[in-house]
Amino acid sequence: MSAIRFDAVTKRFGETVAVDALDLEIEKGEFFSLLGPSGCGKTTTLRMVAGFEQPSGGHIYLDGEPVEAVPPYKRNVNTVFQSYALFEHLSVEDNVAFGLKRRRVASDEIRSRVAEALELVELHGREKSRPRELSGGQKQRVALARALVNRPAVLLLDEPLGALDLKLRKQMQVELKGIQREVGITFLYVTHDQEEALAMSDRIAVMEDGEVKQCGTPEEVYEQPSGAFVAGFIGISNLLAGVVQDGGVRLASGATCVADLPDDCGQGSEVHLSVRPEKIWLDELEDGMISLDGTIIERVYVGTTTQVIVELGPGMRVTALEQNTARAHSDDRWQIGDRVRLGWHPEHARVLR
Amino acid sequence: MSTIESRPPAPTPATVAADAGRARGRPPKGFDRPRFLKLFMGVFFLFLFAPIVLVVLFSFNSSRSLQDFQGFSTRWYETFFDSESLRDSLIASLQIALITMVIATILGTLLAYGLVRARTRVSGGLNMLMLVPLVTPEIVAGASALLLFTQVKLELSLTTIILAHITFSISYVTVVVRARLAQLSREVEDASMDLGATRLQTFRLITLPALWPAVLAAGLLVFALSFDDFVLSFFTTGESPQPLPVRIWTQIRFGVRPTINAIGTFMLVISILSIGLALLLPRLFGRRESGLKVLLGREGA
Amino acid sequence: MTEKRFASLFLVPGGVWLLLLFVTPLVFLLAISFGYTDDLGEAIYSTRLGNYERLVDPDYLPVLFRSVGFAFAAVALCLLIGYPVAYYIAIFGGRWKNVLIALVVLPFFVNYLIRTYAWIAMLGDDGLVNGLLNTDVRFLNTPYAVIGGLVYGFLAFMILPVYAALDRMDPSLIEAGKDLYGGPWQTFRHVTWPHTIQGVLAGSVLVFLPAVGDFVSASLLGGPGEVMVGNLIQQQFQASDNWPFGAALTVAMMAFLMIFMLLYLRAAARETREATA
Repeated sequence: MSAIRFDAVTKRFGETVAVDALDLEIEKGEFFSLLGPSGCGKTTTLRMVAGFEQPSGGHIYLDGEPVEAVPPYKRNVNTVFQSYALFEHLSVEDNVAFGLKRRRVASDEIRSRVAEALELVELHGREKSRPRELSGGQKQRVALARALVNRPAVLLLDEPLGALDLKLRKQMQVELKGIQREVGITFLYVTHDQEEALAMSDRIAVMEDGEVKQCGTPEEVYEQPSGAFVAGFIGISNLLAGVVQDGGVRLASGATCVADLPDDCGQGSEVHLSVRPEKIWLDELEDGMISLDGTIIERVYVGTTTQVIVELGPGMRVTALEQNTARAHSDDRWQIGDRVRLGWHPEHARVLR
Repeated sequence: MSTIESRPPAPTPATVAADAGRARGRPPKGFDRPRFLKLFMGVFFLFLFAPIVLVVLFSFNSSRSLQDFQGFSTRWYETFFDSESLRDSLIASLQIALITMVIATILGTLLAYGLVRARTRVSGGLNMLMLVPLVTPEIVAGASALLLFTQVKLELSLTTIILAHITFSISYVTVVVRARLAQLSREVEDASMDLGATRLQTFRLITLPALWPAVLAAGLLVFALSFDDFVLSFFTTGESPQPLPVRIWTQIRFGVRPTINAIGTFMLVISILSIGLALLLPRLFGRRESGLKVLLGREGA
Repeated sequence: MTEKRFASLFLVPGGVWLLLLFVTPLVFLLAISFGYTDDLGEAIYSTRLGNYERLVDPDYLPVLFRSVGFAFAAVALCLLIGYPVAYYIAIFGGRWKNVLIALVVLPFFVNYLIRTYAWIAMLGDDGLVNGLLNTDVRFLNTPYAVIGGLVYGFLAFMILPVYAALDRMDPSLIEAGKDLYGGPWQTFRHVTWPHTIQGVLAGSVLVFLPAVGDFVSASLLGGPGEVMVGNLIQQQFQASDNWPFGAALTVAMMAFLMIFMLLYLRAAARETREATA
């Protein structure tokens, strides 16, 4: 029995279709992310699970039961909001206890469960504080505790780390993942940050324009993108336009690359060749690699790596990633204007329609 | 040093505003000859406060005269509080203001919630309707109220005054509360329902506490307006007791009397107290914005 | 229950109250304006236009024109006096802004009657001014006194919206304008004024509407030559007991004011819609 099942779920706002015939199954105990750009329908989907929106078509099943007729206050799910949505006039412990009080849980049980929840998010000792006295990260923890204390079947998280600064966000990502593992609850996580999704999720559904373009583990989605959108949205991808020819792909520059062709790409089909930047080597190529020549037009230093942008031909640019190890110093090697040979192993390239 | 100096780029509105932006917060100096304006302000305040000062000052005059101040005395206040009928009027005014405050605040707050959360055509129409009393001249209000009460054979009394006052106070409450409500995040109400509270519980436990400063400020505003009201009361009052402003009218019509100064000063104090409370209470509740902002909300006036 | 249905329930108490106690009386008023008074002095509902015909009598028409004229004069004066005051406080007020505005508004918490009465005390034939200067000038019972009373009564309604508009303006705009346009008048015309027009309009409407229907100032500060439509209406409903005619006067006045009321309502509703969207 899956934790959440979407059966052809559609949501229309007037003329706009926000979610288009969504089919998904989320397993119990999974950390599942909905990933996509703004407007792709991920938050709408989340709100439908929470009960704040009603599907225009299709059905949503929570633990096997259809939930359309169930109002949000009766569903066994809880939400962590991007803006935290804490109750300003209540203390931290009253915030956390809110859901339990509504369910008329006994006071001593409330006290112990609230303490437990605050321990879990490492906010023990702040019970009497007011939300306005807390920092962003602390407010986020209160929001998390307030949701988890009710032991919902599913926890919904709507870009909860969006308002935090980078360092705090990375830290919270690790903590959230840890909490999820410890508590074992199904997490449905919405984000537009692909790095975040890759880091935390068991499975990711990449969405665009209300549709799921690909659903799979982080490795699957990253290494084997199903289409140009997923390839481009997750990580940096190099998409080289070309035409299938003689078992390979002929690029606009004239060079032909050997590549694994999917079954539906016959001679003459227009395709894109997708190669991840870190799979591209510069100058010191190995045997069996596909190699192309180009000119370095830009070099971007980002600390751990250097992105080297190479122009292979008019309108054809490729980004390669070089690790800045102790041996390689980028400013020694790659100057703008240098001619360079780049290459990759054929199995690292994917042909996409 | 180079003798050829490049000309600075010609000022565009963008650069000028950027430069000015650095000076933001500092009022522009030497502009508009503030000396003239200052003089104007001085004269203005003089004319503005002269009548008030006169009333307050001469309420403590020991003689009847309005031209010479002949010594400090509280005799006019004693006359005021000794008179049984004036005392009755004072109590009547306070009763009316209090009851109006309570009922108008309840009705106005509920209405504000409905107008903001129910985006239907009915609520749109009601929104317009709610605004009309704010711009209806009081004489129209008074005449129509009088007509209504006569038609339904309701005898004029404190009750009719209260009914009329409430009718025209609801809009003030709605406008103030609505401005505050619009600033409240919807997500907080969603969170409440997500955690198991029904819509009614959410309103009671989450929305209302958040609205409380605005509700209180609006209530006190209504109190002050009702206490001070004349035209509406004039049309809907019974024989006795009549609210204080109506008594003042009758007394003025019969000539200038020093007791009026005392009554006026007393009423001024009451009004200042209630408005002062309305402005300060939100502060005391720990909100950072002033009551003035709460009252003015987003509405222009 | 959906949110719309839940929230709509909240509309009922206030809505019903307003319908019963605000709309219905106005309907009654309109209806009786087509009526007449019988020999016993009772107001009878009918469908006669007699009351409206009386309005254009030489007895009454000047009163209507005078009311509008006085109200316009009051608006003009309120603008001339109020705008500079608002300007000073908004632009030069600095830390004292709130105190100054509070001071400006403070006198308006004295009852309108008392304030007007104070002017009688000051300007009357044996009032303070005549006493101090040992003169015998007749200030009262003149149009100027009535207009002055109106201005003094409603000045705050002009100052507050204009102040709000000026305060909302980015002060660096004036600085920029100063540099672009040079003179203070030019800057005012091209920068400040356009930004405050909304506030000026709001203030003008808020002064004009009550001023047209006012009867207190005309009653206390004016004489027979300064009778306004408000006085007429008040007389019909209280002294003369001619309610149908009084109703017709009221309806006529409302119809005239309706244009201004609608303009204000449309602007206010638009602003609230933007604010609550």
